[in-house]
Amino acid sequence: MRSNNYVLIFTSIVTIILGFLLSMAFSKLELITEQNIAVDMKKNILRALDIRENEGEVWTNETVQSLYDNYIRTSILDRQGQEVKGVDLDIINPEIDTTFFPLFTKIIDNKIEGYAIPVIGRGLWSTLYGYLALEPDAITVKGIQFYKHKETPGLGGEVEKDWFTSNFIGKKVVDNNGRLISIQVVKGKVDESSSESYHQVDGISGATMTSKGVNSFLKEDLSKYEPFFKRIRKKEKESVTWQS
Amino acid sequence: MAILNKTSRKAIADPLMRNNPIGIQVLGICSALAVTVRVDQAVIMTAAVVFVLTMSNSIVSLIRSFIPNRTRIIIQLSIIAGLVTFIDMVLQAYMYDMSKQLTVFVALIITNCIVMGRAEAFAMQNSPGKSFLDGLGNGIGYGGILIMVSFFRELLGSGTLYGYQIIPLWLYDKGYENLGLMVLSPGAFIVLGLIVWLQLQFTKQEEK
Repeated sequence: MRSNNYVLIFTSIVTIILGFLLSMAFSKLELITEQNIAVDMKKNILRALDIRENEGEVWTNETVQSLYDNYIRTSILDRQGQEVKGVDLDIINPEIDTTFFPLFTKIIDNKIEGYAIPVIGRGLWSTLYGYLALEPDAITVKGIQFYKHKETPGLGGEVEKDWFTSNFIGKKVVDNNGRLISIQVVKGKVDESSSESYHQVDGISGATMTSKGVNSFLKEDLSKYEPFFKRIRKKEKESVTWQS
Repeated sequence: MAILNKTSRKAIADPLMRNNPIGIQVLGICSALAVTVRVDQAVIMTAAVVFVLTMSNSIVSLIRSFIPNRTRIIIQLSIIAGLVTFIDMVLQAYMYDMSKQLTVFVALIITNCIVMGRAEAFAMQNSPGKSFLDGLGNGIGYGGILIMVSFFRELLGSGTLYGYQIIPLWLYDKGYENLGLMVLSPGAFIVLGLIVWLQLQFTKQEEK
């Protein structure tokens, strides 16, 4: 039997050595990992805006960067939905920021093809991070992507799967009176005959809490951008009436 | 294998077949079910487990005479956890997409009974060289089953192998359909169960 002091000293030494080695490894790899995360965010903005890989194609970091630079315009909105100049995107943390909101606009040949906004909120075990994209009419959902979460794989983790996200496409975030109603993840399947189905998507069985979380933070995040989107909708309407 | 004497050979060969960690001891089932949807996932997972097992076995064996008996489990566990954290960081830096697909299961190697079991049962009593071989044998024994399961699951469930289309596309036009069950966890249970059964039959015959 060894003395208590020996046990204490030995255990501390092992812990310190391990901690030291791990922090060394971390400082060496941190930069590359951060780059990967940044590229992954851009990839998800692109995917939400319906720019995606063909089957079997793998994008390199450079491809993602060039696609992003070519098609996506980033801008910063204030609380009234007005564009603000001179604010750096990197200093905004969409998770907590309540004064500035980033907006990603897809522009091809000088034509706006959609808007993407960050959506962030609690699920069951973790915070989910994603992007929600709307069509240029600011009413119809163009796509949604989740890129970071720690929900249970197979249950809440299914939010990132195509079968779930593809249900969002074509749904409407405002009702007939132009009021923001957001998207609702229902329990089970959507009843297509119901009058509410225009803003409802199929739920994930076994992941009620994650779905509830998604419902509440989608609405919260959409309402942050509502002043901006309201103006877009008005403009769209005017241009339609003017044309006819 | 003249370079290895009998006990070393036993250390590496036993876990491959006669004492396979998954097939016979039924350890590490959780990850075997979770990361066997596609072969490339199983291969990376195998590489990670082989690395962790060989390293943890060697390190534990190297310092085995200094490890105080009362805290040996904690010491083993911190070494394993350190190695797993390291491999997780490497994956995130160099294979980001893969690490996203493997999600928590890389971190869960820490709780894989095989790793801890080999450290406690083998490395604490044997020389570093032998412990290394034992780790290698167990890692490959575990990974072999993983890759076998994922082979059937990917082929039958997605019609591909290692991401390449294997089932010809014209077959789909004629009405062939992928077996959706194979992509879900029940598919893994069935394939794994069949493999365990086959292995038991095989080892029984060998003993006779």
